[in-house]
Amino acid sequence: MVKDQGSHIVLETRNLKIGYRKKHQETVIASGINIDVRKGELVAVIGVNGVGKSTFLRTLSGIQPALAGEVLINGENRNLFSSEKLATLISLVLTEQPLSKNLGVAELVALGRQPYTNWIGSLSAEDRRKVTKALQLVNIENIQHKKCYELSDGQLQKVLIARALAQDTPIMILDEPTSHLDMYHKAQVLKLLKQLSVQTGKAILFATHEINLALELCDRIILMKPEGVLEGSPEELIQKGAFQTIFPSDLIFFDSSTRSFRIKT
Amino acid sequence: MSNQNFRPKVNKYVYVAPEILNNLTFGLEMDLLQNIKFLLILLLLSACKSDNKEAEITFTAEGIEIPVDYASGFSLTDFGDFKLVVVKDPWPDAGRSFTYVLAEKGAEIPSSLKYDQKITIPVKNMVVTSTTHVASLEILEEEETLTGFPGLDYISSQRTRQNIAEGKIRELGQNEILNTEVLLDLQPDVVIGFSIDGGNKSLNMVQKSGIPVVLNGDWTETSPLGKAEWIKFFGAFYNKIDEASSFFEDVEQDYLEAKTLAGLAKNRPTVLSGAMYKDQWYLPAGESWQARFIRDAHADYLFSNTGGSGSLSLSMENVLAEAQDADFWVGPAQFHSYNELQQASPHYQKFSAFQERNVFTFSSEKGETGGVIFYELGPVRPDLVLKDLVSIFHPYLLPDHQTTFYKPLE
Amino acid sequence: MQKARTYKPALFLLLLLVLAALVLNISLGSVSIPLDEILAVLFNGQVSRESWRYIILEYRIPKALTSILAGSGLAVSGMLMQTMFRNPLAGPYVLGLSSGASLGVALVLMGAGLFGGLFSGFLLSGWGLVIASSIGSLLVLLAVMLASIRLKDTMAILIIGLMFASLSSAVVSVLAYFSPAAELQQYIFWSFGSVGDLTWSEVGVLGFFWMMGTGLAILSIKNLNSLLLGEQYARSLGMNINRNRAILIISTSFLAGSITAFAGPIAFIGLAVPHLIRQVVPANDHRILLPAVILGGAALMLICDTAAQMPGSEYTLPINAITSLVGAPVVIWLLVRKRKFLF
Repeated sequence: MVKDQGSHIVLETRNLKIGYRKKHQETVIASGINIDVRKGELVAVIGVNGVGKSTFLRTLSGIQPALAGEVLINGENRNLFSSEKLATLISLVLTEQPLSKNLGVAELVALGRQPYTNWIGSLSAEDRRKVTKALQLVNIENIQHKKCYELSDGQLQKVLIARALAQDTPIMILDEPTSHLDMYHKAQVLKLLKQLSVQTGKAILFATHEINLALELCDRIILMKPEGVLEGSPEELIQKGAFQTIFPSDLIFFDSSTRSFRIKT
Repeated sequence: MSNQNFRPKVNKYVYVAPEILNNLTFGLEMDLLQNIKFLLILLLLSACKSDNKEAEITFTAEGIEIPVDYASGFSLTDFGDFKLVVVKDPWPDAGRSFTYVLAEKGAEIPSSLKYDQKITIPVKNMVVTSTTHVASLEILEEEETLTGFPGLDYISSQRTRQNIAEGKIRELGQNEILNTEVLLDLQPDVVIGFSIDGGNKSLNMVQKSGIPVVLNGDWTETSPLGKAEWIKFFGAFYNKIDEASSFFEDVEQDYLEAKTLAGLAKNRPTVLSGAMYKDQWYLPAGESWQARFIRDAHADYLFSNTGGSGSLSLSMENVLAEAQDADFWVGPAQFHSYNELQQASPHYQKFSAFQERNVFTFSSEKGETGGVIFYELGPVRPDLVLKDLVSIFHPYLLPDHQTTFYKPLE
Repeated sequence: MQKARTYKPALFLLLLLVLAALVLNISLGSVSIPLDEILAVLFNGQVSRESWRYIILEYRIPKALTSILAGSGLAVSGMLMQTMFRNPLAGPYVLGLSSGASLGVALVLMGAGLFGGLFSGFLLSGWGLVIASSIGSLLVLLAVMLASIRLKDTMAILIIGLMFASLSSAVVSVLAYFSPAAELQQYIFWSFGSVGDLTWSEVGVLGFFWMMGTGLAILSIKNLNSLLLGEQYARSLGMNINRNRAILIISTSFLAGSITAFAGPIAFIGLAVPHLIRQVVPANDHRILLPAVILGGAALMLICDTAAQMPGSEYTLPINAITSLVGAPVVIWLLVRKRKFLF
């Protein structure tokens, strides 16, 4: 089915089944997933703990193999791409910390250029430009000479985003980029992602627990529930009443007027 | 050189003669046979190399086979201005021999003669690697040619210690790890080494540099006279084969006399040897060099049926069960006193040899830097070793003998 | 990544250190040879004693070359293993290479009882121990790899390597327990490590394997840099995890395996030099770290060998004792001074 918005679909899944395969046993987390993500869209993946958001993102990015179905990038099956080619299409920001805290900020961001550099990893002038651009976009030029162990959590998160930016891929996937940040920085990071999707035209897909913020900022939401996966703009999903049944109803409820979750009094 | 002054009332030749005659005729036969064999081999070889006329001419020279009656590890042939030494199996299971040509300056060596090393004799500078070699050099009065040795402190002989004190002999480290640089700097005419399995990196290195390395296998000999006969091997390097042979004849004679004397003893005392380390008892095996002495001294080594020519390790219980009542105990490893034995283990007291104070050790006689004299001199003077044992086991046979090596435990 | 410019002086200083250590190593030894004589030998002049020419050309220079190859090779393989396992305590032998080598050598030197006369004469050529060591290393390496084939987690290979090392040590202990003193002494001396007494052809073979191993390490520089972020990120940057792992293992095998075969199991250098270098050249970029580690390893080994020769005395010390005696205090001092562990 072709959407009529005219924007180019960069990432699409067809009948995707995700889960784990151990020997000959399959554990299905979710199946029949049909979603698409367009150029310049900011898409949030939302669901309760354990519903499979991380598995979904890992399957999309290729870290984990799908049980069935297809993942298409720019219309082509992802499995057809070599890992080097894939590195120019998808960049990741994960929950794990970089291994070597001794890295400098600029060094870490520059590592995003690895898919483009020569056999030994030397940066060309073009590569250096992209790194500078990434630092500018994320607004961390002033700390580019610091070491990672000197940064706060919020700053480090921005550095990792800058690295993914430097990788210059049409698709960026982030796994819970705000989980350990305070409220201000949560807003800051998500605002930044929105800005980036508009400024650079990248499709940015991220998993998050910040439903309220996501509803405010995102173009589309992928809502994962045990019974299935829904996709749509925030308005579409609110109208469908999709958010009413996510959580048990004894403590919190979804308030359509404010488009947010409130505590029951 | 013989230090006994007792002679049996009966003419010794009556008892010794049969053996000597036997050896002589055997030796003569061997001489003849060996000569013929050699000539045949040489002719065969020369036939193969028929294009080399020069070689053939010198080849027909006869080599005199020097009789080697007891040692199985080497053979010696005298071709006049050069000598051929063949060392067989210098380590157990070697499966090969090494041929050494000892040539005087200007000697013509047949080109078809295959050899491992060529050494110029008489040797002026020598490096040896075992204290027994040092003793051999002293006997030949060539200890001045010794220029280097691994482990100088082990040497006990006075004469050589004097040379060491005067700085004439360089320290070379240890046999398994010889100091290559110092050895190369010494530039000896020959290095007499030994190898327990053929793999000695330092010796290989030295050999590659052009210094001849000769492997000595005397440590593999089990017969007391066989070990001592290697004096002839050393004699060849100094053109002193005759002196060596005559020395050996005296040793042989004294040894056989002592052995025959022991044969007259009234009884055969039982004998134990070795001592414990941790909880294992280490002692000479049944066919070892030390065991042969005990047998020749007309005593019964309680473990003589074990076979093997090295050392055994048995549990303490085994030894106690077998040898608790042994009449004598010789060679209790490194112990010097009954006190030491007692402190090391209470089990030692159970042995009647301990209780009767019949324990004798060879490790209390040491040189000034701690080298045990027995290890150095014993192999070349088996006659003294045997007499020591005979005087211990059968004191009435040699009442005035002063033991050289074996002393009662303190 | 860091511009190489900032670290060029440090690399240059390391190079100078290597050259100075080389000069020191060739000038000092058990036999005192005056410097002018050494120069005479090197430039084909007149020497007062021919034995000195021989000592310099056929003993000291091959020994110095071996030290350079061994020191740098072990340092590189140590660095590769530390990066691959993300563990600062890893060294070149974690895959079981030295324990396999020890097992092979122990069987040949002390296992005569088991094999009868099978190995007699085997040792005569001098290549016997090299072959025994190489086969031993190879077999244990294969065992570790086979056991790890199903494992996704790189960490688990580390544990398996350690287990095989324990197994090999146990077998060697049993062999040693029943071994006669002379054979045991031979084995012990082998285990002390030694860079001397290698012929030029042996140095040549060692050099060949060094080049193969170091070549592979150089090709891995880009991947090693990606791994600074962790395996997940590295994969997302296009690195093939399995191929990279294989290259690192093969490189280490060439380096540590050949060095152990020719010079025995030399301790400490592989583990400590990467840390030492990181303290003095605090770069993360392996384009700088790799050459720095090569130079640092070579320099340290040359210095340790010079000390082990105990210049002026006929006695020499085993190289393994010196490497730890010299190296450990230096690492401790550096860490305490900087109060920060950079890894």
